[in-house]
Amino acid sequence: MESRVLKPVLAVYCAAFILFLYGPMIVLAILSFQGAGGGPQFPIIEWSTYWYQHLLGLTPPGRITQLPIGDALLRSLTLAFMTTVVSTVLGVMTAQGFRTRFKGSGIVFYLVILGMIVPGVLVGLGMALFSNMAGVARAWWGTAFVLHVVYTFPFAFLVMLAILNRFDRSVEEASLSLGVSPAQTFRRVTFPMIFPGVLSAMLFSFTLSYDEFSRTLFTSGRELTLPLTIYGTFSVEIYPNIFAFGVLTTLFSFTLLAIYALLMLRAVRKGQAFKGQEAEA
Amino acid sequence: MYDLELNRVGKTYSDGTVAVADFDLRVGKGEFVAFLGPSGCGKSTTLRMIAGFEEITNGDILIKGKNVSSIPPERRPTSMIFQNYALFPHMSVRQNIGFGLDVKHLSKTEKDSKVDRIMDMFGLTPFADRKADKLSGGQRQRIALARGLVVEPDILLLDEPLGALDANLRRVIQNELKLLQRELGITFVFVTHAQSEALGLSDRIVVMNRGRVEQIGTPHEVYANPKTEFVARFIGSNAIIEGQNLSIADGIGAVDTAFGRMRGRPAETVRAGEGVLVAIPAEAMRISRRGAADALPAENRLNGTIAMRHAVGSVQHFQIDLDGRQRVDVETSTDNRDLMQLAVGDAVTVDCPSENVTLVARG
Ligand SMILES: Nc1ncnc2c1ncn2[C@@H]1O[C@H](COP(=O)(O)OP(=O)(O)O)[C@@H](O)[C@H]1O
Ligand SMILES: [Mg+2]
Repeated sequence: MESRVLKPVLAVYCAAFILFLYGPMIVLAILSFQGAGGGPQFPIIEWSTYWYQHLLGLTPPGRITQLPIGDALLRSLTLAFMTTVVSTVLGVMTAQGFRTRFKGSGIVFYLVILGMIVPGVLVGLGMALFSNMAGVARAWWGTAFVLHVVYTFPFAFLVMLAILNRFDRSVEEASLSLGVSPAQTFRRVTFPMIFPGVLSAMLFSFTLSYDEFSRTLFTSGRELTLPLTIYGTFSVEIYPNIFAFGVLTTLFSFTLLAIYALLMLRAVRKGQAFKGQEAEA
Repeated sequence: MYDLELNRVGKTYSDGTVAVADFDLRVGKGEFVAFLGPSGCGKSTTLRMIAGFEEITNGDILIKGKNVSSIPPERRPTSMIFQNYALFPHMSVRQNIGFGLDVKHLSKTEKDSKVDRIMDMFGLTPFADRKADKLSGGQRQRIALARGLVVEPDILLLDEPLGALDANLRRVIQNELKLLQRELGITFVFVTHAQSEALGLSDRIVVMNRGRVEQIGTPHEVYANPKTEFVARFIGSNAIIEGQNLSIADGIGAVDTAFGRMRGRPAETVRAGEGVLVAIPAEAMRISRRGAADALPAENRLNGTIAMRHAVGSVQHFQIDLDGRQRVDVETSTDNRDLMQLAVGDAVTVDCPSENVTLVARG
């Protein structure tokens, strides 16, 4: 009785969810194959890979300039990488610290979490003012980087906290009681066991930093990151080359996810069958 | 020199819980000591203080004469075995066992031969390359034991190591453990809340209650000569009867009870003139049909009716109702034909020689 009503409702809900999730991406992907003379809308005047070639500078120079994204892409990737490393290390260390209750741990927790809660534009603006006052030049690898860490570190921290909460302390104690130092115990027992969590924390940090906009807007200085650059091109005129780029970045994200999934699978497998690991060691 | 010495050791947790207080113990080399007591009495806390996982808030712990109170766990010559095995899930059986040797400065052949030897000893060789999680509970506990012993600790600490195993397997591993300990001559400190384990395995038992030591003695001592009411109630199955006006003569105490005058050996803690508890072991009592025993010389006679009876293997359990005032348990052998014919409701008399009865202080 109930399922007769509920099922179709759920089905519609699901369909709508998928439509809104993938619809824009699919439209974007279709339009990216617009012909040379076409605009950023339907109809498709001719199917071609012209805008992909245009993006990569393979078309003869014309009225429309190439998207200035080469340097920005490199910057964004570097920034995301730096952020990932720092945030994950900080996240793991902080979560590790939170395993033993200490005085004021509640306050520290909220201070850390604040970084992901406060509106990005405000933090960005505040940082810009602050760096002006302090006489520090704004740069994507400086002021923006700090804000990226402040923003992504809480995510990494929360992921690690959830993982360590379920962690069985006696496994570490067993290692200590065998005469293995705390540092070695962390490296050889704790870390391998929390590695899937570390991967997730890295993925969070990377993706959040890679497309961060509001915090970067006021703090990156003259050299822009990728999201800022793309936004900048909108103010001129939109051509389908943006869509081609969108498709490529989406593919890049999927690649990252695939790598994540593979590493995860390997970590989980490692915890299951040991013949392979034995051979490696 | 003792292998392990606890001098007035105490532990108060940061939330104010007094988990252990005034714990005094000396353990000789190769001794098998069991901490026995109900859940929450501070057994694990004490064991963890010996291992170094819990800070000692009072007193000192010495291992082989050396004060280890402020030495971290990895530098103490102890090895701990956990109830949940605490194996490294990302390592094979062989890697688990060899783990503690990796940080010692041993050649690879030396290490391998040690690991091989102990795996052989525990029958783990066929599983060497398997993942520990995929093995049975008994095998996992053997891995944990092998891992803890291969580093050659002075003291092996075991926190309810058999608690997660089923009854049959528990008996098997219990026997293995006892043999192993004799063979290796390593000092074992074993925590359990099951008296059968403590009584069956250890050379000495430390009976604990609410963070305090109630009695330390051989299994026979704590079983046959309880020093306190707690021990009398906790160990074995004693009938406990209240008595007044203790008088002691020639090492035998006599008290007045609701069932007449009763005699027994007074524990050191009791004083003449005081009220005490009479503890009579269930299996030391003799049971006979009312009237039939009257002619026999008998001490500590109690009259009652059979309220319940059931047999477990070769042991016959009776519950005797003493005129509606109290019930006591009696255990006899099922070999006795006469007793096997007693039925619920029959009037009986039980008695017990005074040398088997203990008089302990109340409270
Ligand atoms: N980390 C802790 N903080 C506060 N109290 C604790 C802690 N660990 C144990 N306790 C308390 O200390 C007492 C003894 O605990 P424990 O040593 O684990 O007992 P046992 O092993 O005999 O069951 C218990 O009352 C328990 O609640
Ligand atoms: Mg315990």
